[in-house]
Amino acid sequence: MTEAVFRETAAEPRTQAVPLAHLSLELGHLYMEDFEAGPERLRRHFAQVVHWAEAVRGSTAAATGKRPRISTCFLIDDYFTRFSTPRELVPQLLEEAERAGLSIDYLARESGCAVADGAQVAEAVAGRLVESPPPGAYGARPPAGQTGWLANGERSPVARTPQAMKKAIPWQAPRETAARQHSVFLDVELWSERPGGGKLWSCPFLAAVWQLARLGLLRHEGQAVLTPRPHEGPFPDDWDEMPPLLQLQERAAPFAAYRTCSVLPNRFMPVEHAVRVVLDQTEVDPGALQQVAARSAGEGAAVPASVADRISYVFYAGQ
Amino acid sequence: MSPRESRDHDQGAGAVLLCGEVRTCLLPAHQALDVRAAAQLLRLRADERVLVSERPNLYARSPDALTGVDCPLPSASGAKVRAVGTVAARGALTEGRVLQTSARLSLTARGPDHRQPWGHYLVRPGLLEPFGRLPREAVAEGVLAGARRGELDVGLIADGLLTRLLRHPLLDQRPPFKSRPTRLRWTALTAGPGTDRPVIERLTLAEDELRTLALRVPSGADPAEVAALCEDLALHDWLLTTLVRLLDGSRLGSADGTAVVRALRPAVDHLLHLWMPRARLDPAFAALWDALEERPGFTRQWEALVRRIRDQLALHAIPALHQEAVMAP
Amino acid sequence: MLVFAASDKGGTGRSVTSANLAYQRALLGDHVAYVDFDFGSPTAAAVFDVPGAIRGIQENGLHSYLEGETNEPAKIDVWRQTEHPVLRNRPNQAGRLVLFPGNISGGEFATDDDTLERCVDLLLRLNTEFDLIVVDLSAGRSYAMDMVLAATAHPRMRHVPFRWLVFHRWTRQHVIAAAGLVHKDHGILDCGAGHGHDREALRGHIRFVRAAVPDPESPLWSQVTPAQAAWMQACDEALRRLASDNRIGDSVVLGIVPLEPILQWREQLITEEDVLSKQIANKETLEALEEIARRLTDDACWGRP
Repeated sequence: MTEAVFRETAAEPRTQAVPLAHLSLELGHLYMEDFEAGPERLRRHFAQVVHWAEAVRGSTAAATGKRPRISTCFLIDDYFTRFSTPRELVPQLLEEAERAGLSIDYLARESGCAVADGAQVAEAVAGRLVESPPPGAYGARPPAGQTGWLANGERSPVARTPQAMKKAIPWQAPRETAARQHSVFLDVELWSERPGGGKLWSCPFLAAVWQLARLGLLRHEGQAVLTPRPHEGPFPDDWDEMPPLLQLQERAAPFAAYRTCSVLPNRFMPVEHAVRVVLDQTEVDPGALQQVAARSAGEGAAVPASVADRISYVFYAGQ
Repeated sequence: MSPRESRDHDQGAGAVLLCGEVRTCLLPAHQALDVRAAAQLLRLRADERVLVSERPNLYARSPDALTGVDCPLPSASGAKVRAVGTVAARGALTEGRVLQTSARLSLTARGPDHRQPWGHYLVRPGLLEPFGRLPREAVAEGVLAGARRGELDVGLIADGLLTRLLRHPLLDQRPPFKSRPTRLRWTALTAGPGTDRPVIERLTLAEDELRTLALRVPSGADPAEVAALCEDLALHDWLLTTLVRLLDGSRLGSADGTAVVRALRPAVDHLLHLWMPRARLDPAFAALWDALEERPGFTRQWEALVRRIRDQLALHAIPALHQEAVMAP
Repeated sequence: MLVFAASDKGGTGRSVTSANLAYQRALLGDHVAYVDFDFGSPTAAAVFDVPGAIRGIQENGLHSYLEGETNEPAKIDVWRQTEHPVLRNRPNQAGRLVLFPGNISGGEFATDDDTLERCVDLLLRLNTEFDLIVVDLSAGRSYAMDMVLAATAHPRMRHVPFRWLVFHRWTRQHVIAAAGLVHKDHGILDCGAGHGHDREALRGHIRFVRAAVPDPESPLWSQVTPAQAAWMQACDEALRRLASDNRIGDSVVLGIVPLEPILQWREQLITEEDVLSKQIANKETLEALEEIARRLTDDACWGRP
């Protein structure tokens, strides 16, 4: 009896399911410098992307063995710098994509990866970081996320002043935990403190959140977050009035997907390496994880167990 | 059944040894926390709700927080077995007054003899895989005996979470009376197919702060439910221990009635209403309480202590009579 | 309550006297923790006669705890683990007496924000458990002193009462040094104010203990010549004036511990047995310690009504 009462009053974790496509194909990120470089830059970008996008579609069709559900998306930075307005920028963006023969199904604002519809999305993901333990870690290390940095291995020991009359420890190399022979050690800044207090999330960290959103693995108290809202009427004059994730094509495949692919210029490579370091050490919502695993397996398109292995890239030469 | 629970359940199926440690202490706050404040304290993750329940008593429990480990396991035989995986820890607050943190893990019978990519362990929260075969009896004994430096120390993880919670700005650090924290270290070996109910094999009050509990549970038992049993035991053992100490320090029988009242008052204000064994346990585990009620008789002792406190307070509430009695030849 | 034991110079008997105060309070029924923050010379184990128990504490003493190498500092239950034959029989109704030792052969170390947070964690946890926490600090201006001044000014510690005892011997040099430690540049008040303490309030929390004070009335000096006695009297007068001029006069003295061979040579706890049956310690010394122990929590001695 008591147990039944407990189950009713307690907020039992229940996980909302989201519709899933086979692939979420990202057609690009737009930062202020891209915008300032004029429409030619976008034009050149889409002209490159269209070829790779075709290749990715072909490869996905071959892997699934049928007509795959593929949705496309595009991310605009309104978090680090605010520029232009949706009313001015979005039609221009869509026009350039269309000119190249591409259709953007979903448009996202980067600040939606920090906070979306009142949910602290980035904060939540930060709370789910579970550092990969270097050999020898027996429980004494503090959990991740206290310093604002996340590494893929063991840092060099900090040269702190030793106890009086004890020898200082000589420099030691950092070590990547999953290294084979030699290390590629990476230490990622997840956030910095804003001058007025609060966290300023780093670009790689928000990019990791963005990947989780596209993989359908973000939940807030079991509810889906960053769910797409249909586009109606003209685009607003203020970014804040635009939904964090906007559905532009009514008949598009679902936004979230079993796997993701992003076509980006190769200057994004360091950021995406950092994304992998973050995803490798994020315990995603187990309910969401299970739903995706079950559904993909049911469709004969089983996903890899590791979340980081579900994402892929095409890096092309250029700006 | 929620996804999280069913998942734990699945892992339990592969596990042959579960173990953990529970830390129990008085919340260092002048006022007991209400439901909302309790939920705020225990909000370890921005996207997961704190479980709260108001029946049969006020109780709040945090979501699990994971800690990655890769180290040798403690073992009574001295065998060095390395294991990798995650330890799950959670915090709980009963009646806004008693704070607990509890860390737990499950061990599989065998595992690959090299480390897997971290993602492999992350999708198995609370599970550790040994390199090679697990000498489970020796490890179970080793865990109860306490880890040596460098070996897996599940108590450290419970303590780390406790430190984190105790730093919360909600707490004014004014505990209403002095008390000691306790720790309960536990192991549960899974029994073969013939066994369908959990058994307490040994409950030891080791030092004055440490209790050790050896259980045997059916294979496939949910580690979270086993931990819940241990948290319930730890809570009530702490209540008993704390009440005994309050009585010890109160110098009953001394003529100074106000001193006795001052010493015993916190028990009435903060402790006496907390006794509620097996309040929200899985029925299979709740049944284990019967054995403890038989011997050593937890509730019997509690009731005796409560009676004693009430008698003392009643006695000192009538100072005039009391003085007369003292002065009479 | 926290009591910090400080001294400017070594040889004041700070450690042994504060250990005796801890012992006396435990006898009165308080639960007492003795925390060895004398990082340059962590030797409290000898005072409590627990050398055997200390041997295991190479790695997890307070040095390791504060430097973040261990999360739980070692502790020693004195009644249970002492090798002192009298102490082993915990007197009825005595409170707990627990020693938190430093690492054997640990040294002074620089502190940072993390050390400070850990120090606050430790003191707060002890405060939930013990009635009295005696913290023995290194002599002179030290990292330990700076750390506890910062800790007691920390917002999390705002409700934890604390008091300071500054020990000094009854000599010109010691009087000047003790006054300097509190009042002069980079002293306790300066440093405390820097960490956010109210200077006057902090001053109100500081009292002095004069140690190893020869008592001309004591039988020890009964054989001195009249000339010597007069000279001693004059010296004593001069020291009183000096102390008063340096703002550490009688009004801020919590107690006076007589010159006592057992404290000077053996550096151990003085038990009733040492006074009564063995007669190796003076009754006056024990009484002085009992009195100071009582005054630790007597608000009247701390300028409070």
